[in-house]
Amino acid sequence: MAASWVSPPTRTELIEDLVSGVDRYNPSNLSILEDYLYHQIRSQEYDCLANLAILKLYQFNPDLYNPDIVINILTKALTASPLPDFNLCISLLDERPINATLDEPDPLPSLLPTLKRLNDLLYKCRFPAFWEYYQSDELENLRDNYTVECVGFEDAVREVAIRAVKATFTRISADRLASYLDLNGSELTEFVEKKGWKMEENVIVIPPNPDNQIEATVVQENIKLAQLTKVIAHSAGN
Amino acid sequence: MAQPRVALWATEADDMDEDLQDMSLGNYGQNGQYDDTLFQQPQIDEATLMAMQQHMAQQAAFAQIPDVVKGFIVHFHQAVLENNLPEITVAYESGWNKYTEKFYARTEWPEAEVIAPLVNDDPIFLILYRELYYRHVYSRLQPNIDDRFHSYENSCELFNYLLNSEGPVQLELPEQWLWDIIDEFIYQFQVFCTWRSKVKSKTDDELTMLADGGPVWSSYSVLNVLYSLIQKSKINEYINAHQAGKTPEEIAEVVGEFGVRPLYRHLGYFSIIGLLRVHVLLGDFTLALKVMENVELNQKSPYTRVTACTVATYYYVGFCYIMLRRYPDAIRTFVSILNWIMRMRQYHTRSYQYDQISKTADRMYALFAICNALSPSRLDDNIANISKERYGEQFMKMARGGEDAAPAFKELFLYACPKFINANAPPYDDSAAIHALLDQPSPDPSSTEFGESFADPAHRHLSLLLSEALAQTSVPTLRSFLKLYTSLGAKKLANFLDADEEEMVQQLMVMKQASRSVTHVPGGKGLLDGQTATTSDLNFVINENMVHIAESTVGRRYAGWFIKNTERTQRLYDDLKNQPLAVASKTENTPTAAVSVESKVARSATPKVAWGAVKA
Repeated sequence: MAASWVSPPTRTELIEDLVSGVDRYNPSNLSILEDYLYHQIRSQEYDCLANLAILKLYQFNPDLYNPDIVINILTKALTASPLPDFNLCISLLDERPINATLDEPDPLPSLLPTLKRLNDLLYKCRFPAFWEYYQSDELENLRDNYTVECVGFEDAVREVAIRAVKATFTRISADRLASYLDLNGSELTEFVEKKGWKMEENVIVIPPNPDNQIEATVVQENIKLAQLTKVIAHSAGN
Repeated sequence: MAQPRVALWATEADDMDEDLQDMSLGNYGQNGQYDDTLFQQPQIDEATLMAMQQHMAQQAAFAQIPDVVKGFIVHFHQAVLENNLPEITVAYESGWNKYTEKFYARTEWPEAEVIAPLVNDDPIFLILYRELYYRHVYSRLQPNIDDRFHSYENSCELFNYLLNSEGPVQLELPEQWLWDIIDEFIYQFQVFCTWRSKVKSKTDDELTMLADGGPVWSSYSVLNVLYSLIQKSKINEYINAHQAGKTPEEIAEVVGEFGVRPLYRHLGYFSIIGLLRVHVLLGDFTLALKVMENVELNQKSPYTRVTACTVATYYYVGFCYIMLRRYPDAIRTFVSILNWIMRMRQYHTRSYQYDQISKTADRMYALFAICNALSPSRLDDNIANISKERYGEQFMKMARGGEDAAPAFKELFLYACPKFINANAPPYDDSAAIHALLDQPSPDPSSTEFGESFADPAHRHLSLLLSEALAQTSVPTLRSFLKLYTSLGAKKLANFLDADEEEMVQQLMVMKQASRSVTHVPGGKGLLDGQTATTSDLNFVINENMVHIAESTVGRRYAGWFIKNTERTQRLYDDLKNQPLAVASKTENTPTAAVSVESKVARSATPKVAWGAVKA
């Protein structure tokens, strides 16, 4: 994982101590981490390891479990695709007995299959299907109660699509890109301009990057000096 | 023999009278008559009576211990008292197993209380003895709930003694045993959690005991032990100082009075590996790699001496990489340990843990097959071939994609994955909730909540791997078509595949995604660190509706072969040059000398050739 995933530049020292030290197991630090999650949601920041630390505390202390926090964490993790963040979160969601301490019914069991399906669509790069499902009536609850709180959620999904497009295309038709980003004509033009990309007759040119430059190469052998030390040392000895 | 036992029974604080003690010393086993008279004394209260009965049962048990075993225990105790590592190692690795085979293959070893007279009631030795006693119960017999609780208590006593004595304890134990202590502690935790999660098979007694169990084998208590050992030993500081090239004096300064003692240092290191394992069992793959931050994975590490530890380390690290979708890193990890196991085979076939090691190796070949199907690599043909020999059929199905792939992934994953656990017990302390679970007709207590796959944590992790694998299921077919072209219209490709063009374009994006992976780079700090790299030799790009393809090839590698043979020839030449010349007058000796030269050269050269062949 890139260094910014292991330790995002926006992470404060306090959070760093919690994430990297044994204090991460202390339930009394939970509220600090939960506040940090809400900060991430408001400020379009993201810190996977800190959020996993919350799930770890829930795993060990089922009585602290807060389904809204879990759903927010999963929503944030969705937009990290194709990194495995969403699955890493799911791995920590242990089987839990029906929680009698909650005042309201637990929303997670009914939303979890939905979130998993959204994740699956993103991971399979089925962006038009993602938007269709996301905007369906069925998902009204998720939109109205959760993703609306998550500032820039839809743009973050667009970034997932952009990552896939940038790696795969040198030029892409405007219609296709519009369907991936769920943007109409003028919105798309604005979006493309903001990226600084060029549009030529309904085709968008994706700037060169390490993934959309292809070249047939023959990988030649590289001999390092270290491999030859014995041979050279022997010659010197004689 | 009699004298020490006097002292020991005298220290017992129960109210047995003097006669009884004397009797216990000399005449164990032949004392029925004497005891009868005692029993008939009417004024003995019930507690005393029970104590006596227990005492007699112990005597009877003691009498049944074969003399060689008694001798072994006395000797073993002596070796521990003297911190005599070679003798302890012999007793631990060979003696214990020998007498297990001979006398206790199907029964427990004598209880610690029974053999206590042989070891002066030495509390520390008795804790160590119980450690072995319970380990034997877990590995050969079926532990009952008392065994499970008591083995936990015994482990706690041991760790309390090590961690909470005033200053470091003077005890020394072989590295192998120290590893086994940590390894067994986690193993017993894991089997307890698995056993605990099966609500339906519990008797009423067991339900009561589990309800009152409290912190017994709780995740917090297990983590607490491991973190405490790591902190007490300052092992991370030790590793960092060591890597920074500090002198032994400087290191001693850094690690303090506990860390300088090998016992604590080893336990600290093994606890890091233990944490890696516990985090994996609990499904926390990032944290598992994070605790390994300071550990350098290379085979020069001093801990490769404990083979089982090295093998476990690589197995769990490799598995974490799979769950982090870092297949190239997983492959690299498995290849390096599987080659090492192969090279070391001649040494560890003798190890009493050989079976365990080869089982883990076999599971790694299965995991290797999974990784290689998801991210084909040519890192090591030798390991790939062995993996294909063992799992060829499954590999073909996984690598081909399509609908046969999922069952093959499932089969190999469930065979080779760690024994995952749930962090928490079913609600035994809440009798209403537990009875609700017991009354459910389904064998799976939470099927109504999270779906069937959530009951068994292994299935939860499997479903994640499967969703990943199934997302890539069209990649092998696409790849086989793209390989035939340098450019190709998307529509034409879609026609070949009998697929919708737009859907196929989306699959191509998946294919592109699957050919990139975060990979560890040399010099990167920690196992989580890495950079995105290309993992496929087939690259392509889409220009509007035209797919352009480029394939990279690897030129033949000659250098390794030439370097190896040059070195070999140099050695041969040196050997020849250093041979004394045959003296002319002793012509008849010349052939012998020549033969000996030849055989010597052959000897020194042989292993090199074998290694070369392995790598080529």
